[in-house]
Amino acid sequence: MSFFSHTKNQIWLGLVSMLMMVDLYLILFVTPIHPDQQWAQRIFYFHVPSAWTGFLAYFLVMIGGILFLWKKDQKWDNFGLASAEIGTLFTSLVLVTGPIWAKPIWGQAWTWEPRLTTTLILFLIFVGYFMLRAYGGHPERVSRYAAALGIIAFADVPIIFISVKFWLPEFQSHPQVEMNKQAPEYLYPFLFSLFVFTMIYLLMLRYRMHILNLKNKALSE
Amino acid sequence: MFITLLKKDLLLELRSKEIIISMLTFGVTVILTFAFSFNVSPDIMSTFAPGLFWIMILFISVLGLQRSFAYEKEFDAYSLMLTSPVDRGFIFLSKWMSGTLFLIITECAVALPFVLFLQLNIDVDLIQLFGVIVLGDLGIMVGGSLVSGLAMRAKMSAVLLPILMFPIVSPVLIAAVKSTVGLLNHDPFVDWQLWIRIMGSFTVIFALIGYTLYDHISEE
Repeated sequence: MSFFSHTKNQIWLGLVSMLMMVDLYLILFVTPIHPDQQWAQRIFYFHVPSAWTGFLAYFLVMIGGILFLWKKDQKWDNFGLASAEIGTLFTSLVLVTGPIWAKPIWGQAWTWEPRLTTTLILFLIFVGYFMLRAYGGHPERVSRYAAALGIIAFADVPIIFISVKFWLPEFQSHPQVEMNKQAPEYLYPFLFSLFVFTMIYLLMLRYRMHILNLKNKALSE
Repeated sequence: MFITLLKKDLLLELRSKEIIISMLTFGVTVILTFAFSFNVSPDIMSTFAPGLFWIMILFISVLGLQRSFAYEKEFDAYSLMLTSPVDRGFIFLSKWMSGTLFLIITECAVALPFVLFLQLNIDVDLIQLFGVIVLGDLGIMVGGSLVSGLAMRAKMSAVLLPILMFPIVSPVLIAAVKSTVGLLNHDPFVDWQLWIRIMGSFTVIFALIGYTLYDHISEE
């Protein structure tokens, strides 16, 4: 049975599509032009929510990994894989939108800014994660290995962040937009965008898990 | 039990000397490529030296880990080891300890050609330098042994190991280079003690994670 033949999922899809349209409208037509950064600042309504969703997804890969190793339930393996895929998609968006913003504002497309660097390292670990999934050998064993790698990857995040932060301390002086210190006309559309991206993540996660369940069923028959 | 496992790793190496010889030869080869690639004055070379040293260590540690875990694949020794009543966490700890020990022995041998071929002038307290290097080795090997356990039985284990290991141990690499630079520049300890703490925290956290996870990942 197809995923979107369920009424509940149709409602989900309709709701998320509508929210996304509203979000785009808000970003393009309602939010004021930032005095210092002009149009470049608007990428933040995409860049930061993508980063938030990416990290949320990777955090849930870790949670899925712990639960899989503990409960040995295939559901949590699917959850981890689905979340890792979506997390990597959003992390790629962060790595694309970051340099687009940085070029006009910082004058160069790439800097070893701690957040950007941590995202890149995490992205690389997860590329390895998919290679492990693909070439790991026995499927049951691969699930366990992937769960462990998901835990290792996220446990590494704070250490990577701190070491990169003190590695090149001069990057801290770069001007950054602190969203929580902005006026409400910037802040509210931003918070709305965060909410919409989280909803997109949840919908994608449900969809992907549905497909993985079907795949497992087909394989076991 | 841990001692028995460690003894097994050390005895195997003592008989074959495969791991240390391959690590050592590879290390000297890497130094040669460094010398050929950077044909600069000794002053400039000495600013690059800590980074080059740790790149070399990272490369040879991959080689050592691959050899060390390849032993376990031969005759499916690993499966046999799992059937014995051993705490799996100890398998990880013994691999980590033996790997670090082989790395330290290799470094002692490779340090002379490194200084000689790159025409470096080292003027520091060697005991402190040794301490920093051992701490870095522990950090690199704890991450490496953990990843090796995951990648060992994959089809592309030789490729997967560095791909997974390098990003995971990147904080150790940064911290090891920074503290070596601090030591060689005679900077006061307060300026670079943070890096020692980062290496220490990484090692402790990953040792605990490794010890806990090995039980789950090495089931048959």
